[in-house]
Amino acid sequence: MYIGIDVGGTCTDAVLLDRGAVRATAKVSTREDLLLTLLEALDEVMKGINGELIERVVFSTTVITNLIAEKKYDPVGLILMPGPGLNPNLYRFPTDTYIIQGAIDYRGREIIPLRLAEVDRVAEELAARGYRKVAVVGKFSCRNHRHEKEVAARLRWNYPNWHIEEGHQVAGQLNFPRRVVSTYLTCATREKYQFFVRSIREAISQRGIKGGVFILKADGGTLPLESSLEVPVETIFSGPAASTLGVQALMPPGESAVVVDIGGTTTDLALILSGQPLLASRGVRVDDMLTHVRALAVKSVPVGGDSVVERVGKDIVIYSERLGAPYCLGGPVPTTTDALRVLGLTRLGDAERAREAMQILGGPLGLSPAEVASQVTGEVIETIVQEIENMFTRWEQEPAYRVWEVLQKKKVRPSTVVGVGGGAAGFISQIAARLGGYPVIPPYAPVANAIGAAVARPTLQVTLRADTEQGFYIIQEEGYQGKITDRSFNEEKALELAKEWLCKRASRYGLEDCMEGLEVTRREVFNMVRDWVTIGRLIDITVQTRRGILYHVGGGGYRYEK
Amino acid sequence: MKNKKTGLVFFPAFDWAISPTHPEREERLLYTRDQIFEEGVLDLPEIEEYAPRLATIHDVARVHFCVPRVQSQVTEAHLIAAGSATLLADAIIQGELKNGFALVRPPGHHAMRVVHGNRGFCNINNEAILVEYLRRHHGIKRIAIVDSDVHHGDGTQDIFYHDPDVLFISFHQDGRTIYPGTGFPNELGGPGAYARTINVPLPPGLGDETFHYVVDNLILPILDDFKPEFIINSAGQDNHFTDPLGSMRFTARGYAEFTRKLNPHLAVLEGGYAIETALPYVNLAILLALAGHDYSYIEEPERPGRMQENPERAAMVKRIVDQLRDIWENRDRVDLDKIFGTGTFYQRRKHIYYDTDYIEEEQLEKVRRCPNCPGYITIDSRADHGYGHPSHVFCVSIPFAACGACQAEAYDVYQQARKSSQYQYIYLQDKSTDTFLAFDRDKGQEWVSEGPGVGE
Ligand SMILES: [Zn+2]
Ligand SMILES: [Zn+2]
Repeated sequence: MYIGIDVGGTCTDAVLLDRGAVRATAKVSTREDLLLTLLEALDEVMKGINGELIERVVFSTTVITNLIAEKKYDPVGLILMPGPGLNPNLYRFPTDTYIIQGAIDYRGREIIPLRLAEVDRVAEELAARGYRKVAVVGKFSCRNHRHEKEVAARLRWNYPNWHIEEGHQVAGQLNFPRRVVSTYLTCATREKYQFFVRSIREAISQRGIKGGVFILKADGGTLPLESSLEVPVETIFSGPAASTLGVQALMPPGESAVVVDIGGTTTDLALILSGQPLLASRGVRVDDMLTHVRALAVKSVPVGGDSVVERVGKDIVIYSERLGAPYCLGGPVPTTTDALRVLGLTRLGDAERAREAMQILGGPLGLSPAEVASQVTGEVIETIVQEIENMFTRWEQEPAYRVWEVLQKKKVRPSTVVGVGGGAAGFISQIAARLGGYPVIPPYAPVANAIGAAVARPTLQVTLRADTEQGFYIIQEEGYQGKITDRSFNEEKALELAKEWLCKRASRYGLEDCMEGLEVTRREVFNMVRDWVTIGRLIDITVQTRRGILYHVGGGGYRYEK
Repeated sequence: MKNKKTGLVFFPAFDWAISPTHPEREERLLYTRDQIFEEGVLDLPEIEEYAPRLATIHDVARVHFCVPRVQSQVTEAHLIAAGSATLLADAIIQGELKNGFALVRPPGHHAMRVVHGNRGFCNINNEAILVEYLRRHHGIKRIAIVDSDVHHGDGTQDIFYHDPDVLFISFHQDGRTIYPGTGFPNELGGPGAYARTINVPLPPGLGDETFHYVVDNLILPILDDFKPEFIINSAGQDNHFTDPLGSMRFTARGYAEFTRKLNPHLAVLEGGYAIETALPYVNLAILLALAGHDYSYIEEPERPGRMQENPERAAMVKRIVDQLRDIWENRDRVDLDKIFGTGTFYQRRKHIYYDTDYIEEEQLEKVRRCPNCPGYITIDSRADHGYGHPSHVFCVSIPFAACGACQAEAYDVYQQARKSSQYQYIYLQDKSTDTFLAFDRDKGQEWVSEGPGVGE
């Protein structure tokens, strides 16, 4: 049996799955103490079930999200080697930033050497300012990590107690400023995350659970709890990924849909295309900083069922915050849910109180409760529809760098609009109508997120870059640089090598059984030609374990009317 | 202007090459991609990346006579490169963007009005397609093209040689020392567009100092006078000191400084084949300059050295600049009949060599000298491919601003040519109505490509 738990801002959802069937669901309030919340949810779905029957528990966690949002982490100093390029003052990182000499180019060649004396001087200053955590990041360190390693070694030698994080180990993709931010956040949160992992491990064993414990990531993949220590930042924003995977699990395989997850104060939008959730083309924004963290393409819109509605002068305005339950459920102020109640689009709460709420808003303007209610719902729907249109446009307008990518057939927008989350029922038909699509509310929609967590596959990826002219290759995720001795090294051999590394990585994580159905997600080969002669090849290959879900829930066999 | 962004279409055509080891191959913009991605400039709020778009066959036919047809001369990659330029221009004119950079391949500035094949790595002229597109779709009249490639932009010059509303300025390495061997100060445009073509040949070895002398003392003052509504930069980067084809000594910062001063609406990549030592840095520099960012931290790993410019050569450039300034300032006082004769037609013979496809073309170009409009153009073109019969075609081009008499006369000329047995294909390009005709004599068939028509 599988357990999925999704921790949200106000509610935490849990499910117990037995093969494709939902055995139990739970909804508890999210408390200040994350661990207590998780245990409460766990205990509720496990009532009467022996812990030994649980094969797998998957959590989404907000621990890192909260740490970052509340800035409850230790200060981290930055030592950067940007070399020539953008004016480094353009990069604004929220901490003391020291720029030192040293530069690597796009092919990993040193163009400016390091000066260790400068490293020592900067380290002294950091020490004097009280820093114990330092992130060391160089431009193009993903192509050659030598400078980062040398600086880190020097710091460790002089300050053995410091916690030092190197950029190439955190983010192997191109984009230096994002690498800096990702490394900074990793350095800032790793220790606290370790503490969290330790307490989870303890609690799980207390419940007699022997199965695997996994953490959900923003890209919809999972990692074994222990392995997630390597990449704590990748656990942020996993909530929207959970809902999207849940819809995927509740839908027939291979279908496309727009996912509209309407919660208390936010609505998350996502796309499922031919059965797979769409990944964002760039990393997520965390606390207003751009990172390399891969995530599903989810757009959060600040409206939901509990959004406060107020009258401002002659206007009726919807705010993004929540001031408690809707008025019709005994809350203090009118909300969007009250508007739905008046229009008969939900049966939640007390109809009379809902009308009263609309009267409070509309009375002074001479508007009837029904008029106010349709104005409010209309605006919510308009906002969401607009954002869905924007999301479609962004997807259709993704840059293309090859002729075939530009020419490939026009992208077809999905016509199914799936609503999940507490607020979906009242809005989804009208949203679908506006988009010219079909509304669907799958069974178990309120706990789709927990279902998604429960069935999310573990994902591992390995990115190999080989430069045969210079005779070396890099495994980005491992921060490994090796020599190529084989004179006939080619694309096929590179692919084999990448798969070997993926295997190694999988066995280190105890995920050997994920090696079936590997996907090659990137395969790029460039001949290097100088003076009309081919002198070598640049090979970039990414292999990953299968993405998505382990199985569909409820047979995925719901029907909808056309 | 203040809050608007710089648009970028980056289309490196990673699956397109002229041939596997040709300079125009997949690898050309690979390191530029690495640099631009690694710098994170696409995350800057001032820069917005756009997905490329294809130009239409009609857009190409508005500029070129492709033999036998447009489809036989262009690949999708060409249409994407040209379409990316028009896409950015649309966004600029609609006010979404303040300027743009079409960082695209393949290039186009050696492609002339008649296209028998590829010359100088170019099949169709991206800038020329953009100019005609701007006139047709956005009603823009005065346009300037400044060509900063080390090679003379002979294709662009050819297309606008008789067009008084398009100012073409090219500075480049002296044609006696580099392909295509043209671009001298005496090439100044035809009788109806005198001094709308300006060429500044530069002796090999000169660097940023001379570059900026030309910019400050010739290009900017002329642009000030001409007052174009839209400025295009043919942003070739082979003037760079590491370029394998050119012998100039410009730097990435020199290019950025030029971009800042010129302040073009749109820069369109042309040549530049130092794919590792120049392109990543020059492209980044141009993009930052367009976006109004500091480019002073950009530095190539190699340095051009503190070599003094050869004073005699620098002095030669100053003389050319003085001479061209003088010609520009007196352009309306000059006796055109003295230069071009008094006939109703001005004609020139051209020998055109297609270095990539080994084609020799002989052209007789005639322009109607009309007091009311730029006059229609006819071209008799014979191309020897080195095998089989040479292809012999006749082209008639009616300018955008044609008068009624020229338009009527041009249609007559087209009809007459259709009766002649010497041409395999006869073309009529009526830019005034956006209608393009092609007649295949062997098949006795006429194709028509029609635009939206006048007044729409
Ligand atoms: Zn060139
Ligand atoms: Zn006329």
